[in-house]
Amino acid sequence: MTKRTILLTVLVFSFFFISHSSTFASYQRGEEGALCLGCHDNKGMSLTFGNGEKLSLFVDDRSLMASAHKNIRCSDCHKGFALGDHPKRQFKNRRSLSLWASESCRQCHSFKKGVHLRMLGALKEAACVDCHGSHAIKPVKESGDTCYGCHKYALSIPFKDGSSHSLEVEEDALKASVHNKLRCADCHFGFSSKEHPERDFKDKRNFTIITSETCRRCHFDKYTKTLESMHFNVLLKGNLKAPVCVDCHGAHAIKAGRTEKIESARRCKGCHEGIYQIYSMSVHGKSLLSTHNQDVPVCSDCHRAHDISDPRMADFRNNIPQMCSNCHANEELMKKYGLSTLVLQSYLEDFHGVTVSYYKKQKNAIRHIAVCTDCHGIHDITRTKGPDASIVKANLVRRCRKCHPGASDNFPDAWISHYEPNFKRAPLVYTINLIYSVFIPFMIVGLVLQIVLHIWRYAVNR
Amino acid sequence: MADVIKKNGEFFRRFNPLRIIEHQANAITFIVLVVTGVSQKFHDSAWAEWIIMNLGGIDNARIIHRTTGLVFTALTLQHILTGSYGLIVKKWMPSMVINLKDFTDAIDNLKYYFGITDMPARCDRYDYKQKFEYWGVVVGGVLMIMTGLTLWFPTKVFHLIPFLPGQIIPAAKAAHTNEAMLALLVIVIWHIYNSVFSPEVFPLDTAIFTGRISKERMIHEHPLEYERLTGEKLRDDAGSEEGKGPEGDEAGSAP
Repeated sequence: MTKRTILLTVLVFSFFFISHSSTFASYQRGEEGALCLGCHDNKGMSLTFGNGEKLSLFVDDRSLMASAHKNIRCSDCHKGFALGDHPKRQFKNRRSLSLWASESCRQCHSFKKGVHLRMLGALKEAACVDCHGSHAIKPVKESGDTCYGCHKYALSIPFKDGSSHSLEVEEDALKASVHNKLRCADCHFGFSSKEHPERDFKDKRNFTIITSETCRRCHFDKYTKTLESMHFNVLLKGNLKAPVCVDCHGAHAIKAGRTEKIESARRCKGCHEGIYQIYSMSVHGKSLLSTHNQDVPVCSDCHRAHDISDPRMADFRNNIPQMCSNCHANEELMKKYGLSTLVLQSYLEDFHGVTVSYYKKQKNAIRHIAVCTDCHGIHDITRTKGPDASIVKANLVRRCRKCHPGASDNFPDAWISHYEPNFKRAPLVYTINLIYSVFIPFMIVGLVLQIVLHIWRYAVNR
Repeated sequence: MADVIKKNGEFFRRFNPLRIIEHQANAITFIVLVVTGVSQKFHDSAWAEWIIMNLGGIDNARIIHRTTGLVFTALTLQHILTGSYGLIVKKWMPSMVINLKDFTDAIDNLKYYFGITDMPARCDRYDYKQKFEYWGVVVGGVLMIMTGLTLWFPTKVFHLIPFLPGQIIPAAKAAHTNEAMLALLVIVIWHIYNSVFSPEVFPLDTAIFTGRISKERMIHEHPLEYERLTGEKLRDDAGSEEGKGPEGDEAGSAP
């Protein structure tokens, strides 16, 4: 009885005291609110957690009044606190307080559907206040960009096939990416602080392929290129393993396309492991892997990055000489390695080169004509000098026989290498050329002289 | 005056119809081979590309070149066989064989051109210029056929002659392309001059079309043959009077 009398006295006293300072608030919040704020509008008021962490217990009346919860009482959320009851609670840290406080949200907000239902699994970690704030709580539609609020936790999206995928976004990775100036909704089209549509995906691959479509909204040029690519073609035919944008570029930790060449090659390795192994043993691959040489070609230099075409098609084959000559006809680059830049020209002057050049112009190539890769290898390109030279030669006759059945063992010698015939390398060719280079001018000058003399004599005689 | 002689029908038969057909066939084959061959040699240039693309592509151009090459081979073989048969069995006069007189004729003609002597060389049925061209066609033709077949069937060559070095293929290509250029230049410069633009035959030496040659030209260009055929002796200075015609001659007779 006495307890109640004292409390009443305090209440009445407080009522006058508080109504004096914030009459409007007390009017709105009623008796209980006025009482709580009687103490909690003190800015110096704080709580110390078990781990020493401090939390201000100050409640800003104005933000409270502007919040979605302006019409509910303090004790509606702060369970256990009532007009006459102010239990003392001890929390390990601030986080455990947040988690505890979030429990009371469930009294009104059932989370039976929508994005929260999906998050339920993660709710032990994510507290409502993380996204929505505490006293200054606002309707979701009025809050700011708060994607991180939830997505910094290991949320996951369940798929129809029972599997799930983490929706956790590492803020650091995103900040280090080339997209650090973009907002989440720039890529995640249709999502905003106001809208968070629910989506159903069959499985993780289905999710990746569909979300990848968003890239084209900015990178339309690259996207259209991929439409012509081998990968897209395979995807259309139903092979869902075919890579889409994010498979090579990553999702949030996206980096500039032209990075270290090794990384580029390793992206391809993900699917093309066997070829990567062969490549890594080639003259180009060895140089890349051992010395990080950025001059050597990696996968995308020959196959291209976005408009990857089927290398078995004639168009690709017939373009190989030009492809190789991008580097091998580059005087400056080849000087570094002591290689000749005559390789392209000497090939183009040869039968095969002429044929390939015309097939390209004719656009109706039916036959496969030997190009660079047929003699030098495709992914297993080796040096043509030194210990590997014999391997190149041994492979040569087998390649010749593909088109020239019955080619004898010395048949590959018919190709007198990429160098100008000289007396040492090809004495017969050299001599024949030499003889004619003397004989033709000699003959022509002689004949023209005879003609001139004949005309002159004829004129004189007339 | 020349008209009078022609009216009188004073012509000598120089080529029989088979030889005329042979020449025209050779000329056509040669032109086709040149068009399809030279455009392959200069495959980079715009005109070559135009030709090859209009022939239906590089494969077509090569098929045409090789087929025409076979026709040329047949013509050459036919000629060699006919010639050998005629010389050996029928005892034809070896008028095409090069002899010492051809060299002295060439020197005599040069002397005449330079004004050292007043008389050009007196030639028989074929003069040294014609023999030079003839043997150029025969020897060059055989060379072209051999190198051409080598390039057409590069693997077969090594089966035929196993000890050949690999570089025989590029060597064949070098010989084929160089010899072709030589032949083309000789034909364009020398043959076309002698049979079209030379003031002695201009506007055209019709002998290979009609098979006949006028008595006037016969006496002028082939005096020794004229004498042999007619039995009459031409005056030594007859040939030196260029363009004046055979005023001192009695009527000749065609064989």
